[in-house]
Amino acid sequence: MRSVSAVIRAVSSTGVRRTLGSRDSCSCHLAIASSAPERGRRLPSSSRSPSPAFLRGATLRAQMSLFGAASGFGTGGASMFGSAAADNHNPMKDIEVTSSPDDSIGCLSFSPPTLPGNFLIAGSWANDVRCWEVQDSGQTIPKAQQMHTGPVLDVCWSDDGSKVFTASCDKTAKMWDLNSNQAIQIAQHDAPVKTIHWIKAPNYSCVMTGSWDKTLKFWDTRSSNPMMVLQLPERCYCADMIYPMAVVATAERGLIVYQLENQPSEFRRIESPLKHQHRCVAIFKDKQNKPTGFALGSIEGRVAIHYINPPNPAKDNFTFKCHRSNGTNTSAPQDIYAVNGIAFHPVHGTLATVGSDGRFSFWDKDARTKLKTSEQLDQPISACCFNHNGNIFAYASSYDWSKGHEFYNPQKKNYIFLRNAAEELKPRNKK
Amino acid sequence: MTICQFFLQGRCRFGDRCWNEHPGAGGLGEGRQQQLSGSNRRGWNTTSQRYSSVIQPSSFSKSTPWGGSRDQEKPSFASFDSGASASRNSGFGLSQNPFASPNSDGQKDEKKLLEGIVKDMEVWESSGQWMFSVYSPVKKKPNISGFTDISPEELRLEYHNFLTSNNLQSYLHSIQQLINQWRNRVNELKSLNTSTTIALLSDIKGGVNQAAPTFGFGSRPSVTFGSPGFPVNNNSSINAQNFSFKPSSGFATAPSGNPSVFGNTPAFGAVPSANSAITASTPAFGLGKPQITSAASFSFKSPAASGFGSSGFSAFPAPMAVGPVGAPETPAFGSGSSSARFGSLGSQSHTAFSKSSSGTFGNSSISTSLSFSNGSTTTDNVLFTPKDQLTAEELEQFQSKKFTLGKIPLKPPPVELLNI
Repeated sequence: MRSVSAVIRAVSSTGVRRTLGSRDSCSCHLAIASSAPERGRRLPSSSRSPSPAFLRGATLRAQMSLFGAASGFGTGGASMFGSAAADNHNPMKDIEVTSSPDDSIGCLSFSPPTLPGNFLIAGSWANDVRCWEVQDSGQTIPKAQQMHTGPVLDVCWSDDGSKVFTASCDKTAKMWDLNSNQAIQIAQHDAPVKTIHWIKAPNYSCVMTGSWDKTLKFWDTRSSNPMMVLQLPERCYCADMIYPMAVVATAERGLIVYQLENQPSEFRRIESPLKHQHRCVAIFKDKQNKPTGFALGSIEGRVAIHYINPPNPAKDNFTFKCHRSNGTNTSAPQDIYAVNGIAFHPVHGTLATVGSDGRFSFWDKDARTKLKTSEQLDQPISACCFNHNGNIFAYASSYDWSKGHEFYNPQKKNYIFLRNAAEELKPRNKK
Repeated sequence: MTICQFFLQGRCRFGDRCWNEHPGAGGLGEGRQQQLSGSNRRGWNTTSQRYSSVIQPSSFSKSTPWGGSRDQEKPSFASFDSGASASRNSGFGLSQNPFASPNSDGQKDEKKLLEGIVKDMEVWESSGQWMFSVYSPVKKKPNISGFTDISPEELRLEYHNFLTSNNLQSYLHSIQQLINQWRNRVNELKSLNTSTTIALLSDIKGGVNQAAPTFGFGSRPSVTFGSPGFPVNNNSSINAQNFSFKPSSGFATAPSGNPSVFGNTPAFGAVPSANSAITASTPAFGLGKPQITSAASFSFKSPAASGFGSSGFSAFPAPMAVGPVGAPETPAFGSGSSSARFGSLGSQSHTAFSKSSSGTFGNSSISTSLSFSNGSTTTDNVLFTPKDQLTAEELEQFQSKKFTLGKIPLKPPPVELLNI
């Protein structure tokens, strides 16, 4: 099929460098002069920007297979270019990070408080991990880059901010020493490594890697053998860790909580509060700064808030719908999008969710309200992250494969946006 | 126990709390216990009240544990869907009617559940959400069979792998198959004829551990007939019933009877090693069949010389090229190192996959893969029987056009008789 082979040729010419040119981020500092946050509105913004083509394609779902026959590739790409009338790549007018990766961004991570300043790490499907320094003025300076031999699925920092750990589809995880700019392999799995976290316990430190080979391995970075291997019921899809608790969500709606004191062990297997595939998970803390529960997002536009030991499970645990097209209007069929990432504000305890619909939303889980929903970007938002003091919210706009290969356009630019998050995420006062 | 006279008259006001025997209602009590989240508690209340010394004719006490045990949906955000649960509660209220037949309680719940499923399927189809996801009708339940979990990243990685091997066609084809399969299953669940209903309910009640560990990328993951390791025993009979080789969506509907295996694509490693798994499945299917042939109810629509599974394939509609099914099977099996099938990574399996896949898998939408994973580091004599080990009668059976009921051999056929 000609279109397909043409694409293969195009894609295989590696490194389609988009002319980034001097994309000077606007020198405006991080204070956002945006419209007043829409507080407490339960419905997403009613005025929809013209729906971008990739989403419009989705509305033809009635009888058509989304991932039609092989001929789909060319058409998907073309229509995306066609609708360039309203350039919706940054409707929120947030700061763009310079030299953004060439392919979809799978993960973002900010440096810990031990490091002065803010450094952002992003792993992408172009097999690279990039590091930027984010200055208070809003300027982003690309600092360094490391490569894997496969797409990078997860990144994390060590607690002292000197090392970055990266997990990749090449079944390895690497430790990148930023001072020397050297990266060495520290972990090996039988399948792509999907999650990676650095654990700093009083009596041990290690790297925890979760993989599609259904294992959770703990690595001392100095040894090539794992310190411990825990079996998972299914492929690891997402994980989060705040000492002493770790939670792993797997395929087939598996959900396991681990306790990390003394040594990692399984604490509890939880019946999933969601009906569909798990996509992302994030742990939240209570007022005493101890991890007390987690938020779990699925592909069905829903997030479940689950406490580990709540006084009243029936009342305390709940789920809410998000990233859907129609709000509470149930007459028309909704478009339902996957929740790609959840992040909790380190200070306020409010959370942000980003979805395949190209929007991000801020929520207050204690007041059970939505704080804000963004305008719709023209691409899905695939990852998000807060910096250590909660002033910066970073989100990545790139294709997350939610509509299959047909809507994949390798020419389309991928962005990382930075937003001032200090004000918008203040919690509502509980009534 | 004494038979309850009032129940016989249809007016027992204790319902299933009654101390006397309600003929025909006993079974339902147990069934209900597993059925719904929180129902344990309710069932527990039921039994305990039976034997408690205090008769509580008022049935309102039931509703509190029910309401309290639901630890979700206090919908503060937009109305949480749970058409099922809400209506189930009301269905529950209905059963408070002391004159209602005690059976109606369990049945109503099932009905609500099924309605919830239908509704969810409709939403799923119309909403454009990710289709390769497992599904469970009520949060705390096991997954319904027939759906496999594939994350977008896994799919994308497959795409990239195929791209580099220049084999996009097979990728596209596999995707198409997965979609069709999903669609079939969704339609099946939407239409809910009796067989799917029964299967569904057994799914849910049985709480079968779906343990659908992996999916066969590029193959039809849902279709695994036969429990792991060549069952000749009881399982096979269940599978066999569902084995009717109906063309088109036959495979989507058929396996519903055996949930533990259904969603189970055993023998398929995680995505990257799915390549190897695919090669595995072909031979697995072909080979496994003869074991199952012990169950007489196989409907081998079109007889073939080998009396083998591949003959059944020929019943399938056009898109599936019948020929190649048999052909690449054996060589793929023979050539690939047996251990290469499972979880083995690397290029060798990859090429094996790309070679045979477009032929076999693309064409045969059936990739019933018996779980190979039970370490069948196979050598020929496990999968095929050498001719000399067959009795004359068995040989005759294999050679005849059709199996005769009652004489179907229990051993796999000899490799020589395979219709290549």
